[in-house]
Amino acid sequence: MGKFHLTYLLVVCLIWSVQSAVDVEIQNKNVDRTIDLTSQLVKISYKITLEHSAKKNLNSYSFLIPKNERKSLAYISIRDSSKKELKSTEETNADGALFLVNLPANAPTQILLVETVFTKSLLPYPTEIQQSEKQLVRYFGNAYFYSQFKTLSQKTTIQLSSKNVESYTSVKPSSQSDSTITYGPYENIAALSTQPITVHFENHSPFLTVTRLERVIEVSHWGNIAVEETIDMVHSGAKLKGSFSRYDYQKDGRSGQASVKSYKTILPASATGVYYRDTNGNISTSAMRVHKDSVELDLRPRFPLFGGWKTHYTIGYNVPSFEYLFHTNENYLLKMRLVDHIYDDMVIDEIVVKIILPEGSTNIKLITPYPVTRLSDSLHYTYLDTFGRPVIQFTKNNLVENHIHEFNLKYNFPKIVMIQEPLLIVGFLYILFLCVIIWMRLDFSITKEKEAHPHKE
Amino acid sequence: MDTSTKLNGGLQKQEHLVKLGILTIAAILSFSTRLFSVLRFESVIHEFDPYFNYRTTRFLTEEGFYNFHNWFDERAWYPLGRIIGGTIYPGLMITSGVLYRLMWLVNITIDIRNVCVFLAPFFSSLTTIVTYLLTKEIHSVGAGLVAAAMISIVPGYISRSVAGSYDNEGIAIFCMLLTYYFWIKAVKTGAILWSTMAALAYFYMVSSWGGYVFLINLIPLHVLALMATGRFSHRIYVAYSILYCVGTILSMQISFVGFQPVQSSEHMLALGVFGLCQIHSFVDYIRSKMSKEYFEILFRALVTTVLSIATLVGIILTITGKVSPWTGRFYSLLDPSYAKNHIPIIASVSEHQPTSWSSFYFDLQILVFLFPAGLYFCFSKLSDANIFIILYGITSIYFAGVMVRLMLVLAPVMCILSGITVSHLLTKYIKSVDSPAEKKIDPKKLRKFEQQSGGVKSEVALAFVFVLTFLLISYTFHCTWVTSEAYSSPSIVLSARSHDGGRIIFDDFREAYYWLKMNTPEDARIMSWWDYGYQITAMANRTILVDNNTWNNTHISRVGQAMASTEEKAYEIMRELDVDYVLVIFGGLTGYSSDDINKFLWMVRIGGSTDRGAHIKETDYYAPSGDFRVDKEGSPTLLNCLMYKMCYYRFGQVYTEGGKPPGYDRVRAAEVGNKDFELDVIEEAYTTEHWLVRIYKVKDLRNRGV
Repeated sequence: MGKFHLTYLLVVCLIWSVQSAVDVEIQNKNVDRTIDLTSQLVKISYKITLEHSAKKNLNSYSFLIPKNERKSLAYISIRDSSKKELKSTEETNADGALFLVNLPANAPTQILLVETVFTKSLLPYPTEIQQSEKQLVRYFGNAYFYSQFKTLSQKTTIQLSSKNVESYTSVKPSSQSDSTITYGPYENIAALSTQPITVHFENHSPFLTVTRLERVIEVSHWGNIAVEETIDMVHSGAKLKGSFSRYDYQKDGRSGQASVKSYKTILPASATGVYYRDTNGNISTSAMRVHKDSVELDLRPRFPLFGGWKTHYTIGYNVPSFEYLFHTNENYLLKMRLVDHIYDDMVIDEIVVKIILPEGSTNIKLITPYPVTRLSDSLHYTYLDTFGRPVIQFTKNNLVENHIHEFNLKYNFPKIVMIQEPLLIVGFLYILFLCVIIWMRLDFSITKEKEAHPHKE
Repeated sequence: MDTSTKLNGGLQKQEHLVKLGILTIAAILSFSTRLFSVLRFESVIHEFDPYFNYRTTRFLTEEGFYNFHNWFDERAWYPLGRIIGGTIYPGLMITSGVLYRLMWLVNITIDIRNVCVFLAPFFSSLTTIVTYLLTKEIHSVGAGLVAAAMISIVPGYISRSVAGSYDNEGIAIFCMLLTYYFWIKAVKTGAILWSTMAALAYFYMVSSWGGYVFLINLIPLHVLALMATGRFSHRIYVAYSILYCVGTILSMQISFVGFQPVQSSEHMLALGVFGLCQIHSFVDYIRSKMSKEYFEILFRALVTTVLSIATLVGIILTITGKVSPWTGRFYSLLDPSYAKNHIPIIASVSEHQPTSWSSFYFDLQILVFLFPAGLYFCFSKLSDANIFIILYGITSIYFAGVMVRLMLVLAPVMCILSGITVSHLLTKYIKSVDSPAEKKIDPKKLRKFEQQSGGVKSEVALAFVFVLTFLLISYTFHCTWVTSEAYSSPSIVLSARSHDGGRIIFDDFREAYYWLKMNTPEDARIMSWWDYGYQITAMANRTILVDNNTWNNTHISRVGQAMASTEEKAYEIMRELDVDYVLVIFGGLTGYSSDDINKFLWMVRIGGSTDRGAHIKETDYYAPSGDFRVDKEGSPTLLNCLMYKMCYYRFGQVYTEGGKPPGYDRVRAAEVGNKDFELDVIEEAYTTEHWLVRIYKVKDLRNRGV
């Protein structure tokens, strides 16, 4: 696992100007590591106490993630002791990915808080189970904090979703009590040392992955913002082997524990007109609860999701624009969540966000809370459009709940364009009535009809 | 009316307004009364056939017309496939495709599904207007308005045109009435314009519904009747000749119709009458040039020669097969028991059953009683147009009696004739009612006073008007009730009342189809009874063996044999047909009665109707006592066949109702006879929440030596 990075990073920063080697004088004095395996995610939080052996001031640090884990790393945040987020830059070298931070306080001893979230790191084993069987997963990690620096003292706590542990690698001193496994404390571990561990345990938390999420935000200056999310979802846990028995599923509580029957999606409190449908129409099995600060949707897919089963659906709602759209004169600012909650501990492989602005918007500038890949802009035509609405699109891979942040979109919109669409209707009706009047008043026949209604008595 | 002076000018403007108002309201009413199911459930396609139409329409809008025209569908009738472009009436799809394109052109970004759902209500609005025009031509404006109001809510038509019921009939009735309207216009004026319009409308009708055969027989019949009554004239000659020539050539452009208009016996009447028209005019011409004596001789000689030649040619063509033999559906029109005795697949469709008396009343209510009166009024004032409507009424009432679905053709003429009756009677009696009552009724009817002979006491007249008003009101209530209760359930979503009065929704069909779509391989082949074929291809997008286009009897029979055989026998058939999954509908848990066990005898009959299924005999599936039962008394053949096992697999352990043993089937009201069994060649793949749909996976062959 990646435990050692932080210290390492700092040192590298320090020394970079002088020589490209590690400042051996930086040490991880104490590392407290908590690995949370209660969900489908691997959430690791570190509390690292840094020290400069020569008592010099520390002003930067590098946190290291092993190469093979970099791909599954979805989120990382490095904070100082006052919980202030530190900006990090990423670099890659032979040992793995380095996240370099500048430390705010110039002191010889400092505390760093690091949080990382990994997806797809809990692997079901066996990979196929029957309906009545339990879902077991394996976690592969490192007993030691992986760092570029020497670690004086460290301790690791692994929290599991249940106390049913098939096996775990023991690295003395290590112990299990209930659903917690403790490794350490270990003293004086050299830099870059690894001691692979495997934890094999029962995990029945929902293993759901959103393989693709398309989020469309349509802004109307008439007071409404429509949000629509199209979701492809798969149960990424152990695959279902053999048959699915509805009888067992209904009668036996222990049957199908690994399956997902329903989950909760939290929408903004002001969400109205919520719909939940798929290509075959409305999915009637859902419930909506309105709370003070949110709207909670209890979504039940058409069928329970067993391992390997997929589903696809669309969910949409409207929110009033005054909560998200701000303006001074003709400068507008849209402030909305880039991604919103779908279910707890969610994993999103790929998100595509489309923002449809009103017709006539110009000078569009997008500011995102984290880097995204911008796709080419396009135009969208819908009711009463003449030259199309600008569409901003961007995409990002591997997202988790920690990515729920707001983006800012600035644009200019001349107010006069607002009346264009009403004018269109007015004009259309005007011409229509005019035509009818002309049609009714004038006689277009070539010859005069002798008898208008020849057959009437 | 137009002879009137300035005084009447104001009245005329009011009349326009009232006319327009009534028509608009009727059109809006006919649209909105069909929306029950959309409001109650959602905007969803209903039933079975509409799903096919919906799927093809989607294909048309996505792939364009030429791809649609050349479409070979490999998702249906595995392994045969189906040439869609050449085996459907494309009018419906093209209509909605065009509407869809038009709307997108003006940036109305409506979903194609919604276009399909609302197409039938939209066209019934148009039907309302066309009915008015037609009745106006036949009788009077007043009758037209009454007829329009009646057809907007008549259940016989609503049953096929509610929102979501996206089927050919939805637009075909409009096309049919439009053709009639243009035809009557053409007959009245003898103008080429109207006859060409009639031919175009006929082309639209041909492109959208197989029922055009009725139309192309009715119009020649009309011409024939006119000839017989000595009303044949140049007007009719022009109208019919143009309609027949242009119409036939146009109709042959539809690839499904092809050369039928000149080959099949169903179209021969039209051709014959066309010939007769020529002869008739020729004879008229000769008569005008010759003395009477010579003419008599010539005429007799001509008639004998022509008749004998025609018979001879007819016989030769029939023998050589140029004129296609009379098809089963046609026979069953003439002889209701024909299909039942000869073709089980035709008889198994409920809409092909003969109509019961009650359903006449259910679908038409007071129209049933007003209809004969309307006929009488038409007879009493015979004209070219009236003869047409009389013929239409009499033929369609016969056909509606033969087949339930042809009630649809009857409903418009019922409305037209009833409209004539109501209008006629009201005009007659209302003038005897004193002035305050008059104002309640439309002013246009007042104008009729002068022509009617009065002389009824005002009390009698008042009573009569009240009775008629009451009848019309009861008609309105009846229609709305029928629409709401009987014709507005999508049948894809079922709903029931729970004990506490709340609504329970059974959405199992879509659940199962969606499961298939999401969790089976893209090319998986599903075996099910043909009823569900269209729905599976449309909603699950998987390959199926047989579907509602029952064109291949042997193939359906093969599926029936698989369902009716034991597991081992069925396995052979399923391997032969490359089946991956089998889908059955089972209502035993919820009490849904149109499930596969109740349809099972049809599978047995159809399965046993071909050579390869000769070993399957219906009698084997009856209990010794002679009835069809699923409990212990049931026949062992039934209790061990594949269908039985798939429906009741593990059902024996389920408690369905309090006080009943486990495995109590709520549809058959019996405890199942074969409870504890395991499946050898298939395994349960999915069962929906209420057990309505059960899907089984066909196991692979066992490895050697295991």
